[in-house]
Amino acid sequence: MESNHYDVVVVGAGLSGLTAAGLAAQQGLKVALVASGPGSFVLRAGYLKTRQMFAADAAPDMGEAITFFCEMANFAGFPFEGDPFLSRYLPTILGGFESVALAPRVLWNAEPGNGSSTAIVGVRELSYFDENFMAERMREQARLLGYSAAYSARSISLDGFCQAPTTTLRIARRFDCDAAFRAELVSALRTAAVGVDRILIPSMLGLYSSDQQLAQIEREVGCALCEMPTLPPSIPGLRLFHLLSRFLHKSGVEFYEGFPVEKLNLREDESVELQIASPGHPMTVHGECVVMATGMSPSSLKSGIGTGHDEQMHPHISAGSALAANIFTTEPALQSAGFNVDAMEILSGYRAGKLAAATRGHNAAR
Amino acid sequence: MESTQVVIIGGGATGAGILWDLSLRGIHAILLEQGDIANGATGRCHGLLHSGGRYAVKDPGTALDCIAENRILKAMAPHCVEDVGGLMVQCPQDDPAFFEQWWRAAAVAGIPSRRLSKDEALALEPNLSNNILGAFTCPDAHVDVFRLVLANIEAAVARGARFHTYSKVSSIYTVDGMVRGVRYRNTRTGEEEDIKCNVVINAAGGWAQEVAALAGVDVPVRCDKGALLVLNHRPASRVINRCRKAGDGDILVPAGPVCILGTSSMSVPGPEGLAASPEEIEYLLRLGAELIPGVANARVLRVFCGVRALHFTAQEDAAGGREISRSFALIDHETRDRVGGLVSIVGGKLSTYRRMAAAVCDCVALKLGVKSECATDTVPLRPAVQRKAHRRLSESLPPAVAEKVERRLGPRINHVIEAIEARPELAELVCECELVTRAELEYVLGSATPMAAQTISDIGRRTRLGFGPCQGTFCGYRAMLAGFQTHRWSASEAANEFSSYLQERWKGQSFIQEGKQLEQLGLSHELYGVDSPACSLPGEPDGK
Repeated sequence: MESNHYDVVVVGAGLSGLTAAGLAAQQGLKVALVASGPGSFVLRAGYLKTRQMFAADAAPDMGEAITFFCEMANFAGFPFEGDPFLSRYLPTILGGFESVALAPRVLWNAEPGNGSSTAIVGVRELSYFDENFMAERMREQARLLGYSAAYSARSISLDGFCQAPTTTLRIARRFDCDAAFRAELVSALRTAAVGVDRILIPSMLGLYSSDQQLAQIEREVGCALCEMPTLPPSIPGLRLFHLLSRFLHKSGVEFYEGFPVEKLNLREDESVELQIASPGHPMTVHGECVVMATGMSPSSLKSGIGTGHDEQMHPHISAGSALAANIFTTEPALQSAGFNVDAMEILSGYRAGKLAAATRGHNAAR
Repeated sequence: MESTQVVIIGGGATGAGILWDLSLRGIHAILLEQGDIANGATGRCHGLLHSGGRYAVKDPGTALDCIAENRILKAMAPHCVEDVGGLMVQCPQDDPAFFEQWWRAAAVAGIPSRRLSKDEALALEPNLSNNILGAFTCPDAHVDVFRLVLANIEAAVARGARFHTYSKVSSIYTVDGMVRGVRYRNTRTGEEEDIKCNVVINAAGGWAQEVAALAGVDVPVRCDKGALLVLNHRPASRVINRCRKAGDGDILVPAGPVCILGTSSMSVPGPEGLAASPEEIEYLLRLGAELIPGVANARVLRVFCGVRALHFTAQEDAAGGREISRSFALIDHETRDRVGGLVSIVGGKLSTYRRMAAAVCDCVALKLGVKSECATDTVPLRPAVQRKAHRRLSESLPPAVAEKVERRLGPRINHVIEAIEARPELAELVCECELVTRAELEYVLGSATPMAAQTISDIGRRTRLGFGPCQGTFCGYRAMLAGFQTHRWSASEAANEFSSYLQERWKGQSFIQEGKQLEQLGLSHELYGVDSPACSLPGEPDGK
C-alpha cells in the first residue's frame, strides 16, 4: 500500500473522530486522521454529563461505546472515573452544581461533601474567574442541595511570571514548559491550602498533564486539589484532546493536522481521494473507507451530501450524487441529543468506526 | 410625589426625541419607559437612516421628510450615524419601468443620486449578484438606534429633564376632563409612584392603544410584524436596497461588524410575544440571496422581530400592512375626545423621529402657553470631544478601541480615561467584537452615568456588548462578574441576572437550524444549561 493510502480516513478531531480513529486502529487497520484543528469539545468542561447518558439511554450500544472511550482515555493518561448511569454533582462556572457521570479525578475532587472545608483560590492576574463570586454562590447552592460544606475565598499572585490580565490558557502553557513557574505555582498553592481540606482552582495545571502528574502536584500542595472548568477554552478539554491525540499517534494513527479537507473524490476503484487544503503543495490521501466526523460546520466538500444519515451511517445524499457505500458520517449528534452532545458524539464515532472497520475487513477479504 | 409639566410615555426614538426637544424649549418633562431604552420598535429595526429612496415613487411626501431628516441627523448626531451610503439595485426580476420612475422621483424629492452601470456597481460592491442590471446611489446610512435614543436622553438630562426606565404607567389621572397626573409601577421593584403633571404624551408605539385606554380614549393601532436577521459579517459595505416597489427581504444594512437583513411584513394582534418561523427565515435568506448570493450561506447570528405600530384609516386597513402609510398621526385628545392635556403620536418611522417630536412639542407648547420654536435641527446632540481628552484616550487604548469608545461615549470618555490611568488592568477587553473595555463596562454600570444599566441586556444597549457571534456567552459572563465585583449585584443576583440575560439571547437564536451558530448555541447551553439544582432529571442525586 502506498504511503498515503489508508484503510480508514477519519475527518475531524472531535470526540467522535478521535473515537472512530481509535476503534479502527484497535482493529489493526491503517488509519489517518485529517483535521483542521481540535473539535469543539475542547471548549466544553471536560466531563461527561449525566443527562447526556439519559438522552442516549435508548441506545443499546451506549454502554459499550462509553466503555471503549474510557479505556482509550485511560491508556492516554486521562482516566475517567464514575458510573455512566449514576450522577454526582460538580461545580459549574456559574457557581452552581450540575449532574455529572464521568470525570477525571482532579475534577471529581470538587464534589461537595458534608463537613468539608474548601478554599476557592483565584489568581490575581487572571480575570474572569472570581473566587469571591464562586465561594458565595457555592455556599448557597450547596446548602440548597442539603450539604453542610464550608467555602472560603483566597487568592494567589503569579506576579513576575504573568502579566495581568492573563488567561488560563497562557498559565497552562507556561506550566507545561517552565519548571520554575511550576514550582512557584505549587508553592503559592501550598500556602493557600493552609487550614483547609481542599483547594479549588480554575483549571490551569497544564495542557499535557496526565493523571499521575496531577497526583504528584496534589501531594506537593498537601491537600486535595480540585480543578474546575472556566470560560472556554477549557483546560481539561484541551488536555483530553492532547493526551488522546498522543495516544492515537502511538497506536499508529497518522495525523494530517492544521488544514481542512476541501474535496472528496470517488475513484473508479471505489476508494475515496481526499484533497487537503494545505498551502504550497496540496496533499491528497486515499481511504478505502472515510468517516466524516466534521460536526455541524457547513462545508463545500459536503455539497451533494445532505444532513443526517441512514441506519448504516451513510450520509443522506441529495439528488444527483452517487451513493458511496464506504463513506460514513457521524452527523448530526447535536440535534438528536438536544444540545448535550459529548456522549452522543462518542457513540456516533464508535458506531461509524465500527462500521468502517467492518466494511474494510469485508473488502479486504474480497 | 414628583411633579412636572409633561410626562412622556415611551422610551423609543420618538419619546426620547420629545424629551430633548422639550428640554430645549425650557419645558420640564419626565419620560417613563416600561423597559429599558428602545424597548419596542426602535430597538428592533434595521437601523436604516432612510435617504427617502425607498419612498420616492410611492410616497413623495415621506421621501421629502426622509431626505431632510437624513441631512439633519447626520449633522446633529454624527456619532450615532455610520454614513455608509446606499445603493438601489436594479434586478432583472423587477419592472424596468420602475427604475426610470425612481430616477425621476428621486430628482423631484431632491435625493442626490448617481446612475451606476452594472460594472460600476459591482466594483463598489463585488458581492452583489452578477445578474444585476445596474444601480442608483443614494445617501442611506446606518443609525445606531440605541445610541441615538441614549444621546437624546443624555442631552435632555443635562438640561434638567428626568427619565425612569422599568417604569410602567398604570393609571392616567384626569379631573374634569383634564389630565392631572400618572401613576407608574417600577417593574423591577414593584413600587408604585405618582407624578403630577399637566400634559401626558403617549409615545408608546405598539403599546399606544393600551396607554390611551388608561385615559378612556381609543387610538387605533395596527401592529405589523417584521422579522430581521443578523448576519455575522458585512457582505456589503453600503445599504443595499432593491429598486422596486417596497417588498419583503429587500434591504441589507451594514451595522458595525454585522449586517441586518429584513424584513417580512405580517399583521399581528399586539407588540408582544413575537416569533419568527423557520420558513420566514428561509424566505428572507432566499430573497436576500437574489441581491447578494453569498447571503444564502451566511451565518445567521440572531433573529429578531419588531412591530411597526401603524396608524390607519378605514380604507387603508382593508389594504393591509405595506399599504398603510408610513407617515405619522398626531392626535390631540382635547379636540377629539375632550380629554385635555393628552396627546398621542403614532405611526411614522425612525428616520423621521425628530420631525414627529417637533410636531408633538409644538402642540404641547401651545397647550402650556409657552412661546417657543423647535431647535433640535440646529443644536447638536452632543458637544465635541476635547482634543486633550482625545489624545489621552489614544495613549491608554489601542487605536481601534479608542475610536469605538470615543464614538460611544463622546465627552464622557473622561471617566474611562481616568479609570484606566488609575487601574491599567481596566483596559482589558470584555467584548472582543465590539471592543468594550472593562473600564467602559464599569462606567455604564456605575452611578456617574445618568442612564445606569440595570441588567446585562441594558449594558448591551449602551455598549453593544454581546451583539457579536458569541451572543453574550463569554462577554455576558464577564459583564456579570463586573457587576458582582463593583457591588452592583450580590453573587446570586448576578447569577440570576445572567440567567435571564441568556434566556433572552437564546431566544433570538432558537430559530436557527444549522451551521456554526447552532454549534455556538450548543456550547452556550452546555456551559450554562443546567445550573439550578431545581431542574433535576430522573435519577439525579437528591443531596444528603
